This record gives sequence, C-alpha cells and structure tokens, in this order.
Amino acid sequence: MSRAFAIAANTFRETIRDRILLVILVFALAMIVASLWLASISLGQGARLMQDFGLVAVSGFGVIVAVFVSAGLVRKEIDKRTVFIIFSKPVGRGEFIAGKFLGLSATMAIVIFGMTVFLFLLVWAVAREPSGWLLLAGGFIYLQVLVVMAVTIFFSTFASPILAAVLGLCVFAAGQLSHNVLSLTQLGDSAALQGLSWVVFLVVPNFSAVSLAPVVVGEQVADWSTIGGWGGYLVAYAVIMLGLSWLVFRRKEF
Amino acid sequence: MEREHAAAVSIEGLRKTVTVGFRRRRVEILKGVDLAVREGETVGLLGPNGAGKTTTLKIALGLMRPSAGTARLGVAGLHEVGYLPENAYFYDYLSGRELLGLCARLFGLSRSARDERIVEALREVGLEEAAGTQLRKYSKGMLQRIGIAQALINDPRLILLDEPMTGLDPIGRVEVKRIIQRLREEGRTVLFNSHILADVGELCSHVAIMRSGEVVWRGPVEDAVPSGGGSLEDFFVQVVTEGAVEPESAESGSPGVTL
Repeated sequence: MSRAFAIAANTFRETIRDRILLVILVFALAMIVASLWLASISLGQGARLMQDFGLVAVSGFGVIVAVFVSAGLVRKEIDKRTVFIIFSKPVGRGEFIAGKFLGLSATMAIVIFGMTVFLFLLVWAVAREPSGWLLLAGGFIYLQVLVVMAVTIFFSTFASPILAAVLGLCVFAAGQLSHNVLSLTQLGDSAALQGLSWVVFLVVPNFSAVSLAPVVVGEQVADWSTIGGWGGYLVAYAVIMLGLSWLVFRRKEF
Repeated sequence: MEREHAAAVSIEGLRKTVTVGFRRRRVEILKGVDLAVREGETVGLLGPNGAGKTTTLKIALGLMRPSAGTARLGVAGLHEVGYLPENAYFYDYLSGRELLGLCARLFGLSRSARDERIVEALREVGLEEAAGTQLRKYSKGMLQRIGIAQALINDPRLILLDEPMTGLDPIGRVEVKRIIQRLREEGRTVLFNSHILADVGELCSHVAIMRSGEVVWRGPVEDAVPSGGGSLEDFFVQVVTEGAVEPESAESGSPGVTL
C-alpha cells in the first residue's frame, strides 16, 4: 500500500501544480460571490438563496474539475509513457489505480472544502445565519465527486479522455435525474419502460437522493441514519467502480 | 564464481503476436527469441528498427505479455532490476530529487535508505547541482542521466537500457558511456539496445543481433570483430542482410522469476 501512497502523493503534486485548477477555482469562487446579487433581489430569502446557489456552484465546478482531471489521469501516463517508469518497478496495477484515485481525492478535498468554507463564511458575513448543515452538504458533494471520479477513471481505462469525460458527465447527469425518471415511469402503464427505468436507477449512482441541499435550506429534516446510509452507498459505489477499473487495467499492455 | 555464470536473463522461445488495423490483421513481432544473459555480462542487443528489441525487453519486465515462451529474470524480481525506457519521459513538474524520491518509494525503500540512495544516484550520474531543478528545465543529456539515476536508485543487479544514447549530443553520449562503463566495472549485468555500433563495440562484452523477431547471432564482441580486419558494423550488416552466420544456441539459466 505504501506504493499506492507514493503514487497518490505524486498525483496530488501533479494536480495541485496544474495552473488550470487554480483558474477554475477562482472562477468557481467568483460564481459563489455572484450569489450575493441573487441575495439582494430575494425579498428576505437571501441566506437561503445564497446557500442553494452556492452549493450548486460547488457541486457543478467540483464535478467539472473531477471529470476532466480524472479522464486524463490514467491515459496521460500511458500516452507520455511514464507507465514504463512505474510498472518496471514492483508496482501492482491495483496500487496504481488506487494511488491515482487517492491523489486526486486529496486535491478535490481541498477544492470542495475550500469552496464550501468560502460559501459558509460569505453567508455568515452577509446574512449572519449560515446553517451548520452547509459544511456537511459540502462533505456529501465531496462523496458524490469521488463517485464521479471513480466512474470516469473506469471509463478512461478503455476509452479516450474526451469520451471518458463525456461518459462521466452523462453518468453524473443521469444520477441527478434517475430518481425523478423512475417516479415518472411508475405513473405510466408501460412495463418495459418501468423495467428500464429500474435498471437505470439501480446501475447509475443515485445522486438526487443523497443531496443535503434541502436540509441546508430547511426544506427537509435531517435523519442521521439515512445520511449514514447514503454516505456508505456512495463509498461502496466508488470502491466497486475502482475494482472494475482494476479488472480492465490489469489486462493492459504498454 | 558460481554467481558469475548464473543467468541474469533467460529468454526461451519467446513469441509475441499482435493484431493491428481495422481488420485486426495478426502481426508476429517476436518469432521465438532465445537469449541468455549471464550475470556480470554487458550485452548489446542490436537489430534494425522493428526487429523486436524493445518488445523483448518489455516482455522481460512484464510490461507486455508473451504469446508463447518465457522470459525469466534470474534476480529477485523487479526489486533488483533497473530500467531506462527509450526516449524516456519523466514527470517534468518534479525536480530530479523528487523523481528519484518517487522511484525509491516505489521500490519500497525506507526513508533513510531513500535519502542515501538519492545522494548516491545523483552523484553517480553527476547531477548533484541540478537535483533541485525541475525536469522541464533539463537538457536531453541531463534527462538521460536522471533516467539512468532512477534506474540505479534501487542499486540493481540487472540494468536494462533501451537506446540510452539516442538523441544525445557527443558530450551527452560520452557521459552516458562513462556511466555504463562504470556499471560494467562494478560487475553489474547490463543489457542495452542501441543503434550506435561503435558504442556497443566499446562497452559490451557480448553482442546479440536480432532480425525480424529472432536472435540470429549471439556471442562475445571479439567474435563479431575479426582480428584480421572488419568492424562490428560490417559484421552486423552481414548478419542482418545475409543471415550468413549461425546463431549461438541460448543457454538456459538458473531458476529465476517467470514473468
């Protein structure tokens, strides 16, 4: 496992030194600041709107960064032939996949929690009523981002970076909508459509159900057992996707 | 004395077939490579482009799988092997010291061993002063030397170098040749591919010549350079174009690691 941590440390160093990450982060923070404008026209709902809009910005930018960085994470090592340096040493394919994932996870932790804390401080400075759930919501966005990363890394083990990124974004979008699609098809008569929506619901990660945004803005009451269950679900989903990535990657020749 | 005669690399009947193109045409890259490298030898693996030299090394290292045959390393697995790939690219956002630190961690060296080996490897390739410089600022010759340093970071018994002189200016070539010469003097086993026959003649104790996926000749350098005249270049051209010389049979080595 120490080899996986060595690769993770290198991946962290690589991504954190990438200036494009800084540019995206600055843009994301600007979007969060833009929520101040929404607050000014919200007729007493300023804090709620800022938190809602801010969490969407944190999630959106987090996913975009995660998808585009993780799509090239493995392929870049193959294209630039740095895999020769890695795999000519006693490094297992699983250690490599785990290391790349852990390294980017560390970077994304800084990105997501940095944005969330910034949002929290902004809401506190403007409205003086930030919800403590905001920080936990950031934690759940982080778990969602880990799942999207694991899915994208899986696609990148056999597809080009562009295709892997597109597929990763598609899975994220499908995960946001799968619960609603399932509910809608249950209203109809088509058994085939209902069956298909069940399959999609079971296969893609169910992101819509694990959002804490409604709790943050007071639309729902938090239930710790449900929160724990969904957290476990996201972690298990990411681990399964990494396992599938290893199954594909271990057959690769360089 | 026993160790000197043990096989560091033992390749028997190695075949590799790949499919290429839309119609998945099968191409046989290796057609039964037999090659034994004994410990302490410095072997130059020669052959025209596409002869299968790099593929042979990659299979020996486990980067590719053979279609048939075996490639065994007579050392304790990859822990005792150093490898420099052809036209190696390294993480250019790292400094030389950081790259060596990463490679040392991949070999599982302890922190104190890492620190010690990094200093030694940098000294061996003469890059102590550039240790803190990012690799993107290195010249081609410096990159090749840091590549050799990462191949030596685990103090390996077997060193595989793929085209170590390619793209180097005369000074870079001299520097790399000095390093290989020193490795030879230290009694390490070195197997390297090269197109620069003069360097092979100067550095190697043995030569193996590949043509179209087979080793067609293997023997001491002296046997390839007749005392009556002629050069290794003439001999190489004769073997590759005419195939007039019978190949030496590859000896099977001591039990090792099957990759």
